[in-house]
Amino acid sequence: MKVLRDFILLFKREFIHALRMPTWLAVGISTPLLYLALYTPLLQKLAGGPGFPSSNVLDVFLPGMLGYLAFMSGSTEGYGTIFTLKDGQIERLRVTPASRYALLLSPILSDVAWMWIFISILVAVAIPFGFHAHITGLLVSLVLLALLVVVTGAFSVTVALLTKEIATFASIVSGISLPVLLLSGVLLPLSMAPTWMRIIAHFNPLYYVVNADRILSAGTIWNSTVGLAFLVTGGLVLATLLWATRVYKKAVA
Amino acid sequence: MNIVEAKKLTKVYNGKIRAVDELDLEIKEGQIFGFLGPNGAGKTTTLRMLATLIPIDSGEATVAGQDVRRHPANVRRHIGYVGQFGGADGLATGREDLMLQGQLNGMNSQDVKKRIEELIDVLDLRDFADRKCSTYSGGQRRRLEVALGIMHRPEVLFLDEPTTGLDPQNRANLWVQIRKLRDTGTTIFLTTHYLEEADALSDELAIMDHGKVVAQGTSRELKQQIAGDSVLFSFKNDRVNIIKTMQLFKKQPYIREAAIEGEHVRLYVKDGAEALPELLRLLDKENIAVKTMALSEPTLDDVFLRKTGRSLRDTVANGKGNGESK
Repeated sequence: MKVLRDFILLFKREFIHALRMPTWLAVGISTPLLYLALYTPLLQKLAGGPGFPSSNVLDVFLPGMLGYLAFMSGSTEGYGTIFTLKDGQIERLRVTPASRYALLLSPILSDVAWMWIFISILVAVAIPFGFHAHITGLLVSLVLLALLVVVTGAFSVTVALLTKEIATFASIVSGISLPVLLLSGVLLPLSMAPTWMRIIAHFNPLYYVVNADRILSAGTIWNSTVGLAFLVTGGLVLATLLWATRVYKKAVA
Repeated sequence: MNIVEAKKLTKVYNGKIRAVDELDLEIKEGQIFGFLGPNGAGKTTTLRMLATLIPIDSGEATVAGQDVRRHPANVRRHIGYVGQFGGADGLATGREDLMLQGQLNGMNSQDVKKRIEELIDVLDLRDFADRKCSTYSGGQRRRLEVALGIMHRPEVLFLDEPTTGLDPQNRANLWVQIRKLRDTGTTIFLTTHYLEEADALSDELAIMDHGKVVAQGTSRELKQQIAGDSVLFSFKNDRVNIIKTMQLFKKQPYIREAAIEGEHVRLYVKDGAEALPELLRLLDKENIAVKTMALSEPTLDDVFLRKTGRSLRDTVANGKGNGESK
């Protein structure tokens, strides 16, 4: 019960933090909206062609964008970690009897919540432009994307705890993010890619999530690609959380 | 009863830097214990180990009767900690931050409200408690951070360099608050590299250097270990007189030590006030004309100098070593 109480207290605090950083919120929601507004028009001629089976490119592009959104919400979490490390908040909270898991996970869970809000806005905006929304599929993909945020968030926080300063952290995280994003098909499906690229993509966890996302948003739920995505992401949730808690217990000083 | 005890407490960084080296400590309940030393001496590292923030590499420690290595969670229930960077939340108001601190420490909401009002009075937070903390001045922020540290009425409060960066007035204010806390029964363990602070504030203090305690006791006890008071002379037509007087001084049994310091001669005597008339009579008899004369009691810096061969003032001024930020 104590743990649950700590979770609620700390989650509330993190969630409210975001409200008090309007610039952060504005950038968070405007980035995917800008992609929708200024990137999808480039794809219009591809509708019905290879990689875009649906008559509306949004049906392929939007699910990819959701994967991008989830990936980014988690992987930028470490910036916050470094700020709170520098101004002593992490130390201060660690000396309280608060649950270590709640301390570590609350900012990540707040990212999940905000990501869900952003996705709802994005989908609501896309529907009038012809996006076919399948509610059940979308709901299942929200769960999958939440797991993805936990993976990238826990990874990002851990790298932040280890590097302890912005410059190194930023170069590591952006250095990893770019190839992972390019090799996942968030923007254009990798079914259009040459074989060697698709082979490499199989070592990229985000590739599975994006593939599953597209299938889910087309309304199919019981599917082996979806199952595989949950398996891969679930395994990574365990691995990153284990790593994060180990580092969190020791490295903060 | 000792509320903090450490035996052979050790922290090694990178396999070789002994930040804290087999440190022994015993701190009595209800006092202000000062931990004085230059940057990099290991003060912060010691504090962090005792506050359960970093693992102890070897040795034993208990805080409020709880074993720090085996039961860190128990220790946390009895301690408050205010680090160098404080840890107030810039995006929350002082009141909100205090509320969170109380709730995380398991206080019920009624008690939290009551305690916040108490702290607003005690630490004079009234004017800004409902403003966002990012708008606070340095002194206001520090007061809030101390309030956060004592929100749950801990038995032991760790303060890491509490007055660094504060102007003299805010520093003096905080000293008053810290003494008030001690008077209500809280044991306070603070680190500082300010001699005046350690001297004025601590009931007992330890001087630390290179990971070890080099001296421990009350400020008076430590100063008494030094060879009494010192007297500083300068003379008219100096060069000749200095050599002459040095020879003269060396013959006097009550002078423990005499040293030339540039244009001056410094003497160490057991009791300055007693020795002074004697010294003047002696110089008068030899027709040595004194230009200036000053009597000074030993300072903690003299203690540090005696124990380490360096002056703490120089070490701090040069800002040598920054090993504690690791």
